[in-house]
Amino acid sequence: MPTLTIDGVAYPAEPQKNLLQVSLSHGLDLPYFCWHPALGSVGACRQCAVRQYRDENDSRGQIVMACMVPATPGTRIAIEDEEARLFRKSVIEWLMTNHPHDCPVCDEGGECHLQDMTVMTGHCTRRHRFPKRTFTNQYLGPFINHEMNRCIQCYRCVRFYRDYAGGRDLDAFASRNHVYFGRSEDGALENEFSGNLIEVCPTGVFTDRTLKNHYTRKWDLQSAPSICPHCSLGCNTLVGARYGGVRRVLNRYHHHINGYFLCDRGRFAYEFANLPIRLRHPVLPRPAAAKDGAGRPPTAAEAIAAIRTRLRRSRGLIGIGSPRASLESNYALRRLVGPDRYFSGLPQGESRLIAVALDILRDSPARSPSLREIAEADAVLVLGEDLTQTAPRMALAVRQSILQAPAARVAALNFPGWMAHAFQNAVQDDRGPLFIASVDATRLDDAATAVLHAPPADLARFGFAVAHAIDPEAPPVPDLDPETADLANRAAEALLAADRPLVLSGTSLHHEALLGAAANCGWALCRRGRPAGLGLVVPEANTFGAGLLGGRPLREAYELVESHQADTAVILENDLYRRSHGTDVDRFFDRLETTIVLDAVQTATTARADILLPAAPASESQGTFISQEGRAQRFFPVLPPTDPVAESWRWLGHLHPDEARALRSQEAMLIAIAAEFPFLAGAREAAPSATFRLNGAAVPRSSRRFSGRTAIHAHLSVHEPKPPEDSEAPLTFSMEGTTTAPPAALVTHYWAPGWNSVQALNKFQDEVGGPNRGGDPGIRLIEPRNVPRAYHNAIPPAFNSREGLCTLVPLHHSFGSEELSRLAPAIAKRTPPAAFSLSPADARERGLGEGDTLSIRIYGRPVRLPVRIHPQLPRGCVGFPAGWPDLAGIHLPTEGHFE
Amino acid sequence: MAKVIPRKPLTLAERTYLPQVLGGLKTTFKRMVSPNVTLEYPEERPVIPEGYRGVPTLVKDPDGREKCVSCQLCEFVCPPKAIKIFPGEIPEDAPTAHVEKAPRDFQIDMLRCIYCGLCQEVCPEEAIFLQEIFSVTGYTRSELVYNKQKLYELGGTLPDRHFKWEKKRQAAERGHQH
Ligand code: SF4
Ligand code: SF4
Ligand code: SF4
Ligand code: SF4
Ligand code: FES
Repeated sequence: MPTLTIDGVAYPAEPQKNLLQVSLSHGLDLPYFCWHPALGSVGACRQCAVRQYRDENDSRGQIVMACMVPATPGTRIAIEDEEARLFRKSVIEWLMTNHPHDCPVCDEGGECHLQDMTVMTGHCTRRHRFPKRTFTNQYLGPFINHEMNRCIQCYRCVRFYRDYAGGRDLDAFASRNHVYFGRSEDGALENEFSGNLIEVCPTGVFTDRTLKNHYTRKWDLQSAPSICPHCSLGCNTLVGARYGGVRRVLNRYHHHINGYFLCDRGRFAYEFANLPIRLRHPVLPRPAAAKDGAGRPPTAAEAIAAIRTRLRRSRGLIGIGSPRASLESNYALRRLVGPDRYFSGLPQGESRLIAVALDILRDSPARSPSLREIAEADAVLVLGEDLTQTAPRMALAVRQSILQAPAARVAALNFPGWMAHAFQNAVQDDRGPLFIASVDATRLDDAATAVLHAPPADLARFGFAVAHAIDPEAPPVPDLDPETADLANRAAEALLAADRPLVLSGTSLHHEALLGAAANCGWALCRRGRPAGLGLVVPEANTFGAGLLGGRPLREAYELVESHQADTAVILENDLYRRSHGTDVDRFFDRLETTIVLDAVQTATTARADILLPAAPASESQGTFISQEGRAQRFFPVLPPTDPVAESWRWLGHLHPDEARALRSQEAMLIAIAAEFPFLAGAREAAPSATFRLNGAAVPRSSRRFSGRTAIHAHLSVHEPKPPEDSEAPLTFSMEGTTTAPPAALVTHYWAPGWNSVQALNKFQDEVGGPNRGGDPGIRLIEPRNVPRAYHNAIPPAFNSREGLCTLVPLHHSFGSEELSRLAPAIAKRTPPAAFSLSPADARERGLGEGDTLSIRIYGRPVRLPVRIHPQLPRGCVGFPAGWPDLAGIHLPTEGHFE
Repeated sequence: MAKVIPRKPLTLAERTYLPQVLGGLKTTFKRMVSPNVTLEYPEERPVIPEGYRGVPTLVKDPDGREKCVSCQLCEFVCPPKAIKIFPGEIPEDAPTAHVEKAPRDFQIDMLRCIYCGLCQEVCPEEAIFLQEIFSVTGYTRSELVYNKQKLYELGGTLPDRHFKWEKKRQAAERGHQH
């Protein structure tokens, strides 16, 4: 085995990597700032200096930057070289000449990479006697706080924001000592991934503004591994809490999904769980509550007793599930009401879409790709989905994919891809193929080879045409206009020429033909012998989980109640007013004898409940979500839900009359699910079970330095209360537990001696930037199968706009379309006001300008909203803001009448 | 093996006990006329020496600015975990906005405090001092959790050697580059 030598010790050579990465991977402490595993090396900070020797006989060597030197066989370096050490120390001293004395007021303090590196290099006395450079800070919106004086000019921020995430409104200004990282003027950072600056910046320049509302140092945070509940991708998160409230969300590294980065929705939406609209107590109808005497909210036991009574008296019980509730909760409901009285909680159209999507993916020769595979694809077709708004992190992955083809082309130049500047120079403006077909302009268009903006039906036709161009046996599209046909041919050619072609689509336009078209493209590629990926985006965190349990659509529930076959409904974490038209839902509730609702927050539906049970949100519960990739992933509570709040599956388990005992734990729930749905058996292995122990101990949620546990209740009693126990998870609600790094599914915080910042993650990976040590969590339930599939052939006719009518298309927004995240104050500040989006042609025809009021009759009811003109929107389509309560319950496809 | 130590026989004078009795009486009479060494506490109070470690208190600087910036280091270092801090932001239009932070609330549980002085030692802002108060009383446990207001009342104002934040403000005024 070819080796290299670091401080006289031989290690395997890895010419594909640099010396810094290799040193860190072997657990050696070498300070660095500007290098980032996802961003590559630029050699800007001069912090990773080591001495390199030419060969065995060279005793003088020279100082080099470890991050810029490939770890080729025979390399000899010394980290512990006196001069190199002095070099590194003086780099810090030089950085500190301008760095403020701010640690006490700095939000980064205690988890600051600059603090760690300062200690590591040993710099401690300031010799510089001149004034420090100072800057004016900017207002950067509700997510990020800016404190420029703390900058050390490592350029990581702009390299992430501009080069990686495609943002345009953050830049480096001025020169020399005065380099300024900010916007050209005050204002919210526009990019949907700005929150990652918090983790990318090694200092306290960019910090979490929402954390300031309830600031806590890292060492005082109790954290737990969780899954982001705000879209279908299932990014891994670390949720931190203190004093009974959630404090912040950080990225939890998953090599195959989110990697190092989250989207802003996932990072800043957590505050909804702290709001006064949270449900904290059961609500019972007045007669039952009156018995209890005034003022005291009912207890869990009373609520359960009341519901049991109602259930006994009921003349027909139905259960309405939810794609935002966990697999366990949906199953518990299904078990309570019986399979034929369990409803998916989705309207007919959406139910069908999800079923189609599942059918496509479950028996598919094309692989449902992970986000990493998406980033590594070398030709991508996006069909109908505005990824930045519906599955943000996937858009970031797609943005990386366009560098794959150029990377292959410059591979011949024989330099490693992590040499960021050399790579940029070699690649120049060369970008790999990315074809985007969407209704309106998307935030990814700037990265695309070609875009097509057309009504949903025409997008589907385009997709079918691509499939036909790939494989002539796929059904042809009649009467296709030559322009679209030409584009379809180009896309097909690019996909066929690629090594890892990928087709992405989704349900956000509520257009079934799009799914069929995407499937055809994927399958056609497979038939032509290409290892194609086929990814479908679905609306909610557990849409696939709920879909796999197979409930009936909502309409049938309404009918059952209408025909008096049911008079009691249990509604699980679902706001029906977002699913169906208000009058239908009102009628449904009016007919019901008893409405039992479980939810974490107040909604229009909870307002109609006779009995309300407070459910725990994801941050306070344990459960399983199945992501759009088909991956089952477990989330754990960061806080024990305060009695009487409990996970929905726990409430429902208690309601079950006889077999209650059998379903009292999450584990039991998963066993029952596996027995009934063998396909879901893997969900049990998504994370270690409750009995898992490391060196005989569970994993602590609090850091070893957690202060204050014992003092919190000292004013009440001298007896320190026992920390709450967790019977469901191998985690403790205290600092007591194992000190060994746990498996990735149970990681509660990234920390290692000397490494207090998020960079401590290096110590949790097999090799820096590689998979988590011991494997990445989650179980993929959907794997490609080599089955022959018949092509979809329901090709829609071309779109035709009709006088006085418009086709309503849902326009999604990253900050506003998802139900729970839009409640969070920081997200709400970024939510645009509701508006109808019009094409310039339509606006001109009606004499409307930006901001004028437009009235459109939908289902016979006029809806008046201001107009926004979208230059790219096709004529005849009117965009409405999807997920805004003003326009909830529109079933697509629907046409509106201009008034 | 046990060692036998023979007892010295008493002298005649010792056997009468008279010298001892007289010696005791002498001390008694001397103390009756010499000045007192005890204090009539609580009417009389002792003089507290410099550096005495009494109750931890929060102090203001001579400009009346509360010096604590809620960095939470004392909360971190406190061995019996008696300190509880709720950090807060200083509003942007306040005259001390450049200090950024001050505690929203600051609680010390005097029942748990062991007067070790580590908080004073660790404080980077010289904002917490164990001063001369040594007697804490109250009827309930919660009365003995001193809040921010009480801690500032007890702490008062101490001289400042640095005026660190004032210097920072001046530097910023002199040196803004953008
Ligand atoms: S960035 Fe780090 S070193 Fe600088 S003031 Fe903040 S905590 Fe201290
Ligand atoms: S703002 Fe942060 S990331 Fe950007 S250059 Fe300065 S220290 Fe580096
Ligand atoms: S992309 Fe989706 S799952 Fe990932 S952080 Fe954003 S909202 Fe959450
Ligand atoms: S008293 Fe001192 S150590 Fe304690 S929080 Fe305030 S500034 Fe920090
Ligand atoms: S990390 Fe190597 S120069 Fe910055």
